[in-house]
Amino acid sequence: MGASTLLLTGNIDTIAQMSCNPAIGGQAKGQMVREIDALGGEMAINTDVTAIQFRLLNESKGPAVRSPRAQCDKKAYQFRLKHTLELQKNLQIFQATVTGLIYKNGQVIGCQTNLDIKFMGRTVVVTTGTFLRGLMHVGQNKNEGGRLGDFSAKTLSASLLEAGIELQRLKTGTPPRLLGRSINFTGLQEQKGDAKPTLFAFHDTRDPEDLFHVEQTGERRLGWSPGSEQASCWMTYTTPASEKIVRDNLHRSAMYSGEIEGVGPRYCPSIEDKFVRFADKPRHLLFLEPEGRSTNEYYVNGLSTSLPFEVQLDLVHSIPGLEQAVLLRPAYAVEYDFAPPTQLFPWLESRKAENLFLAGQINGTSGYEEAAAQGLIAGVNAVLKVRGEDPLIIQRHEGYIGVLIDDLVTKGTIEPYRMFTSRAEHRLLFNHGSAELRLFEHSKSHKLLSDNRIGKILHKLNRVHYWQNYLENTRSGAGIWAEGIRRDKEIAKLPSELAAETAEIREEVLYRVIYAGYLERELRQVEKLKHVEKIRIPLAMDYAAIPGMRRESALKLAQFRPQNLGQASRISGVNPADISILMIQIAAQRRATEAS
Amino acid sequence: MLVPSDTIAALATPVGTSALALIRASGPMARLLVPALFAQAPLPRIAQHADYRDPQGILIDDVLFTFFAGPNSFTGEDCLEISCHGNPFIAQKILADLLARGCRSADPGEFSKRAFLSGRLDLSQAEAVMDLIHARSDQALAAANQQLRGSLGRYMAELTTRLIKTLAHIEAYIDFPDEDLPEENRQSINNDIDTLISDTARLLATSHYGALLREGIKTVILGEPNAGKSSLLNCLVGHERALVSPEPGTTRDYLEELIIIGPYWLRLIDTAGLNLTPAPLEQRGIDKSLEQATQADLFLWVIDATHPRPDLPSDFSRLLTTQNTLVVYNKCDLPVVAQSPLPQPFQSVNFSTITADGLTELQAALVNLGASFQVNVGSEVIAINARHTQALEQAQNCLQSAKLKLAQNIASELLSSDLRSALESFAQISGKIDHERILDELFASFCIGK
Repeated sequence: MGASTLLLTGNIDTIAQMSCNPAIGGQAKGQMVREIDALGGEMAINTDVTAIQFRLLNESKGPAVRSPRAQCDKKAYQFRLKHTLELQKNLQIFQATVTGLIYKNGQVIGCQTNLDIKFMGRTVVVTTGTFLRGLMHVGQNKNEGGRLGDFSAKTLSASLLEAGIELQRLKTGTPPRLLGRSINFTGLQEQKGDAKPTLFAFHDTRDPEDLFHVEQTGERRLGWSPGSEQASCWMTYTTPASEKIVRDNLHRSAMYSGEIEGVGPRYCPSIEDKFVRFADKPRHLLFLEPEGRSTNEYYVNGLSTSLPFEVQLDLVHSIPGLEQAVLLRPAYAVEYDFAPPTQLFPWLESRKAENLFLAGQINGTSGYEEAAAQGLIAGVNAVLKVRGEDPLIIQRHEGYIGVLIDDLVTKGTIEPYRMFTSRAEHRLLFNHGSAELRLFEHSKSHKLLSDNRIGKILHKLNRVHYWQNYLENTRSGAGIWAEGIRRDKEIAKLPSELAAETAEIREEVLYRVIYAGYLERELRQVEKLKHVEKIRIPLAMDYAAIPGMRRESALKLAQFRPQNLGQASRISGVNPADISILMIQIAAQRRATEAS
Repeated sequence: MLVPSDTIAALATPVGTSALALIRASGPMARLLVPALFAQAPLPRIAQHADYRDPQGILIDDVLFTFFAGPNSFTGEDCLEISCHGNPFIAQKILADLLARGCRSADPGEFSKRAFLSGRLDLSQAEAVMDLIHARSDQALAAANQQLRGSLGRYMAELTTRLIKTLAHIEAYIDFPDEDLPEENRQSINNDIDTLISDTARLLATSHYGALLREGIKTVILGEPNAGKSSLLNCLVGHERALVSPEPGTTRDYLEELIIIGPYWLRLIDTAGLNLTPAPLEQRGIDKSLEQATQADLFLWVIDATHPRPDLPSDFSRLLTTQNTLVVYNKCDLPVVAQSPLPQPFQSVNFSTITADGLTELQAALVNLGASFQVNVGSEVIAINARHTQALEQAQNCLQSAKLKLAQNIASELLSSDLRSALESFAQISGKIDHERILDELFASFCIGK
């Protein structure tokens, strides 16, 4: 977008370092990475060229819920992205710890650093991850920091509180890392990647040399041809001995002894939780995942814990294949501050301090993909704000990014928020292959992609529409093409010109034709919703003064300040009658303005 | 700013018995309803007289209807107003019929809201409209809360919870394909859906019972001429209502009386005597009787015990079952003769319209028959209204379609889409359902997460 941008980080070497396992994608997240790619983000391409295993999840189900997932080479992913940033025009990177924000008249105008250097900016995007007053627990042992070996951003919290931003605590955890050569893989089940990788980036609309809008300088960045590097994961299970070790030491777990006040995610339970809450389950599945090509470190997926180190050691040794395993890094839990996201506008600007944008775990989310999506939207909106243009808001029916941000700002969250396909009302519309087409209006109007790519997406969109129309309206032998395709499911025969189109176009056309009935039902519902989404609520609406409005509703609406009627109707505790009343009020105000 | 709207319908006059009731529909369908209901072109602003029949052609009432073409109507949209007789049951029936034809039950104050948004009401009336919505929704909320606190609310909460559980199971396998979950059990999902379908059907069946409770059980009195049908009606009503005489065939048309027996309202309908060889004038009365009999819930077959009984004309006798018929042997104060066995083992009582001997037994037998209409949903008696019926029928369709998909082994996310629609329909009765509950249930039932 061409804005002059400064990236401040406490440690340049840890840009894009993955604190948890180096896996990108998976259910709903994979679709979201493709949406990020459709809006000009880097995550997809960076994953494709540094992945060491690809798997398409849910292949047995319909296209809407098939999700790409990849294991990356942790260091390659990180260093390649750092390199990419270094090559990015208009971006300056500087290493310094931000210690506070600088405010003037309720607006953020810059930030203060530990080097006593101040940086001023028209807009500021804050992405603190788990570093905001980060506190790590290994049993009773506590260390300040947002990640093992890293620092904790302590004073920034005070600075946010100063602006009136409320903060709360969340907790997350990560399992131990093991030395690969100390693992006995004999007898363990191997999990290989797909022979044919499903990629995240839309390579069909990219020129081979057009690796996104970073200017090519001829420098060599890390990365390899997607799929050329393949590594396996391994599966093993806990044993009754593991359960006994956990149960005997429950009182020493930071989570069970009351040491941790933050709320942890339900979908990522610690091994303590698994044994306690699902006592009838005899054993728990664990994955041993390689962290890269150039390291022998393995991640024990499923063994997240906050037990003391010596107990972790016993626990690991109780597991088949890990009897002799050497721990390189212990598992730990980390607690950190987050700012409940209901304090944000839907364009991720704080309601409490103008020009301040928040993204990622500070908004209560979990996961690289959720963070990347917000970072992208916050970044775009920070630029639009400087330009004085309308913000970019992805609607709930346009993609997972829309669902994510709408959920955050209208409902908030009490646990680290992770995306699931079931959170989306219209997930049938969110097949991963359509991300570029779904979000085309946004990428085009905000020039988030190169002109060349915009042209190619437009061509793809036109071809898809052409074929949809053709198949639905043209006869082939006994009947209409589309009906034959829907009846037979097996697509043995297609018009030869369609067979000659790219796989991306063909697959999208077939998805739209085969699932036409379902998709039309979804689209009809979306049409109904769109209307209320379009009715904007004036920012200065005085809810308390609206006649007939219930007090609880008025309070809620005043607290959340929804942008439009659709959003207002999703706020819990605001009933339909009050939405009707609000609708009349908006119409009345508009008419009064027109009259005067 | 006006919503691309659906068509809404509601009773425009207060609920209660008044001389006339007005039902109003507003929206694009109003124009189509005129030819569909009355086989006439929608001429604006002309009141016309017509019969209102349901889709099966059964007459509900004779009505006056007026069509208003938008924007020259109260709401600014096409509108249809129907005036029927003030009996609340008739008005409810017409409303239910409009909903079945695709109208949506109007939200509180929605007609006024549409009128304002389309510019039919001026700015000064905005506040009044807002107050109206507020007041109406308070009333509706109070009424709904009262219902939901009762047995219907508990039943719906139970159904909703089970549907959420089923959904959570399906969602677990969609959202967590890589987890160590037990083998997906489609058979158990099928069983869950089956019981949801049958329980929804039971609830739907109560709508008939609800109608019986509100409108009265339609009870037709049949028998040969001069068997004492009108006298029986008079006995039950307690005063002389039907014109009686010893002359056979006095009742040529039919009479209707509402009586209360036990917890039930009975709409007693006296009919012309059934003669196997009727005179031309009698034939007209018998045709009328048959029309009544085909819509009856209960039959009282009156037999003159002093003569050997004649058979009923077959058009009538095929309507009778042991569940819906009570045989009354009348004139038991006189010497009676032996009777041939009844064609079916109907319940019977001996009675005299002169001495009223056997009245207690007769009333007890009627209460028993009334109770057989009650639909048992658990240990409780529930009666649902037209709006509930509409929502439950939608839910039922979605559940059926999900079951079909399951049988055809169609992908889970499409199955889930149907079940979510069913959940939305349940929500129309029991109020907003937070979808977070699906995830809550999922994480409670499955050990998920790495």
